[in-house]
Amino acid sequence: MTLAVLFPLIMAAVCALLARQLGRRTGYLAALGFLPALLLAVPLAGNSVEVGGTPFNQVTGWVPELGLNFAFRGDGFSLLFAVLIGVIGALASLYSVAYLSERERFGRFYPYLLLFGGSMLGLVLSDNMIALFAFWEMTSVTSFLLIGLWHTRSEARDGAIKAFLVSALGGLGLLAAVALLSVAGGSTTLSGLDLEAVRASPMFIPALLLTLLAAFTKSAQLPFHLWLPTAMEAPTPVSAFLHSATMVKAGVVLVAKFGLIFGTSALWGGIIVPLGLATMFWGSWRALKQTDLKALLAFSTVSQLGLLMALYGLADAEGRFAATTHLLNHAAFKAALFFVVGIIDHETGTRETFRLSGLRRKLPLTFAVALLATLSMAGLPPLGGFISKELFYEAMIHAGPGFIAVSVIGSAFTLAYCARLIGIFFGDFRAPEDDTGQPLKPHIHEAGLGLLLPPALLAGAALLFGILPSSAEWLTRRAGAALNFAGYEGHLYLWHGVTPALLLTLLTWGLAALLVWQAARVYFLQVHVEFPLSSNRIYRGLLRGLETLASRVIAGTQGLALPDQLRITLAAAGLMGGYAVWRAPQVFQPLEAVPLSTLPIAVLLVAGALGVLLSRNRLTAVVLTGLTGFGSAVAFLAMRAPDLALTQLLIEAVTVILFLLVFRSLPGFRSLPRGRVRGVIDVVLAGSAGIGATLLVLASIRFLSPPISPYYLENAYKEGGGKNVVNVILVDFRGWDTLGEIMVVAMVALAVGSLVRLGRRGQARSEKDTAPASQDLLDLQKRQS
Amino acid sequence: MSPKRTPKKAVKTASAQPRPGDLLINDPILKTISRAAFALVMLFALLLLWRGHNAPGGGFIAGLMTVCALILHRIANGDSALRVDPVKFIPWGLALSFTTGLVPYLLGRPFLKSDYGYLTTALTGEFEWATALLFDLGVFLVVVGAGLALAYALIEVDPTELVEGDS
Repeated sequence: MTLAVLFPLIMAAVCALLARQLGRRTGYLAALGFLPALLLAVPLAGNSVEVGGTPFNQVTGWVPELGLNFAFRGDGFSLLFAVLIGVIGALASLYSVAYLSERERFGRFYPYLLLFGGSMLGLVLSDNMIALFAFWEMTSVTSFLLIGLWHTRSEARDGAIKAFLVSALGGLGLLAAVALLSVAGGSTTLSGLDLEAVRASPMFIPALLLTLLAAFTKSAQLPFHLWLPTAMEAPTPVSAFLHSATMVKAGVVLVAKFGLIFGTSALWGGIIVPLGLATMFWGSWRALKQTDLKALLAFSTVSQLGLLMALYGLADAEGRFAATTHLLNHAAFKAALFFVVGIIDHETGTRETFRLSGLRRKLPLTFAVALLATLSMAGLPPLGGFISKELFYEAMIHAGPGFIAVSVIGSAFTLAYCARLIGIFFGDFRAPEDDTGQPLKPHIHEAGLGLLLPPALLAGAALLFGILPSSAEWLTRRAGAALNFAGYEGHLYLWHGVTPALLLTLLTWGLAALLVWQAARVYFLQVHVEFPLSSNRIYRGLLRGLETLASRVIAGTQGLALPDQLRITLAAAGLMGGYAVWRAPQVFQPLEAVPLSTLPIAVLLVAGALGVLLSRNRLTAVVLTGLTGFGSAVAFLAMRAPDLALTQLLIEAVTVILFLLVFRSLPGFRSLPRGRVRGVIDVVLAGSAGIGATLLVLASIRFLSPPISPYYLENAYKEGGGKNVVNVILVDFRGWDTLGEIMVVAMVALAVGSLVRLGRRGQARSEKDTAPASQDLLDLQKRQS
Repeated sequence: MSPKRTPKKAVKTASAQPRPGDLLINDPILKTISRAAFALVMLFALLLLWRGHNAPGGGFIAGLMTVCALILHRIANGDSALRVDPVKFIPWGLALSFTTGLVPYLLGRPFLKSDYGYLTTALTGEFEWATALLFDLGVFLVVVGAGLALAYALIEVDPTELVEGDS
């Protein structure tokens, strides 16, 4: 399993390296990356998972001291989902080989896709909750990259940012929930949680709410659904992957898995089921309004996710059984439909429903695939979708009449938009034209095998699940032990007698027929009914508010002139020293005798500092500053720290050089404003900062006990094999710190480099510089002093 | 930075105005001395890097020394002694340091755990090797890259260009 998660990540690097040579064929490599995930089907097919035999675990240490490990647990549900990801990931990779144009940047696309698939696999297989969170965030980041793949388009950027912000919000919620759970349950692994302790803990309710926040943001439930439709800016194969098996289902996975912890609480189902149904209704209503096929499918995903959420939220065996069945069906038909829309877009050049008609004649095979998938989505027999819809009604009948009404209306809308979708294949063929009346594509013909095969396979699966329900049930049952419905007696049948659910289905069909019959009026109604509270508007408002707040804060704190910033820093240093002395006045107790030999160094240092104050010339000032630096170096030498001394010396040298380089760009030293009052303030500030820093050092000398240095002296050679203790500390004992520090150095260099380059572009104010006595420069100086 | 506003060219006063980067070019004394000094300083820097494990020295100091040498060369001769953009050292250095940490981790030991041992050859006698040196080499590369990137960026600034806030 570790291999299954790791392999796509490794293949991502391989693809990135080879993309230039392989071009579009990189897609085959990417499909190969999902191979280990497909191999997980072997343990899944074995009987042990089905009957609740011990799931097999794999633990790889990460930071074992903190309970942070990659613990992968292959129970039935996780394996089922992992195989689903593998299948659709591989199909999406193969499909995109034929779909993407030759100019596409494959070196980005396939690595992103693989990284995304790998993190999704990690997410579903992780038993360790912290690793789960890490993978969760990785899916957010990689989906951001995927959605924004065509980053030159502003819609893609907006969509990517929106998706990222919303799901990152949920990610923070998940982190907090995971922390609460692991504290309350005494373990960082899901399987190791002490459920009794968690349920008794006061952190139960907050953890529950935070988990729901995470699940709702990721799975686009009602207040957070706004990101999903804009996420369709991603290339179509990505959308197929994102919408069917992965990203958006992550929240569903969370609800399914954590439902075993929280399901006992009435709050859990009380929130999820109504919200899920509301999402289902709202998604299907909005989907019916869309004229862009991909947008229609995106809203349909929102709606279907609501349905899945509601079923898992029921937290009984029946609901989980129904939900898992629908999960399979949905993955099959939704991926197939996205692939089909990709074909239509690819072959005709448009996705607008009103431009397309009669495609049946030109694209007969695509039509067959689309028909199967759409019928499954609509929940019509004899397809898989029908069976899971029946189960859904069955479950909702037990939930209550209000829920039944919403689900019937939502399903009717679903049928209606399915009719709209399939409608583009009927009627007379009309070549799609752009706004000027030019045909978009001269010759419309059937798509090639590379485009047709993946959706055909998936549509075949949808058909298989319908006419041979035992196949779907066989798969669904795999998850039974993990999701606690192994004891559930229900079975999947295409015909299960005249039941209330079937009557509801008939009612749905009637309503849907009405909607299709009155399609024009419904559309009119939809266009004219505006809901005042759109979550998109709230999102934009929030974002604008945040920006305003940020710019105000920045203007208030960062916009000061450099001298003011320095004053703040100095004042802080003084305050800190004062605080230290206030807390621990013992600092003033007798110091050890000052060795006489350090006096000349002290004199040198003080002289240097005073000299800087008195100098009237920038160059002198810098040289004298250097004097204090060299003095410190001598002091280090006297204290037998040659490494520090050497470093100090070199830093001084480099600093002087950099200073000199900067000077060329600065105005004359004398022209700096020197006010009398400010001068006094500065003297006070500098003095207090100096005293504060001294006190701070003294305090730290006295209270840092026992000193750690003997440990290093003893172990430096034994452990690190070096006689220079300082360097052994740097590269071995505290190597992590050094690694962090060089990263900081690298960041600073890149930042300064780009800042300097930024200043060079178009900001020239050369006239002022060549004629320094010009009037406005003098004005400027007056204003500043 | 609207595209409409074209940058105003500095008023050139014949060829007397120094171009960015040629600070002291063609100063014969500096040029001659820098040639010798450059080689010496570089050698010393590499020595510092090498012996850092057992005596004062190490990647950081050696990197700073190299930066000094290269800036000296740049100031004296007006061109970089390196064929490549020093910025490119930064990612390689980071990667090297990180890899030296990753390898022991993948071998089942703590991240960044270093190893050392002794080799005895007829020519050099006993000789100690330590993987920490590789880590130090990464530090060295980052410091050289960062220091030079800073210095070169500043050298290339046309002193006649001022940014907002200067006066």
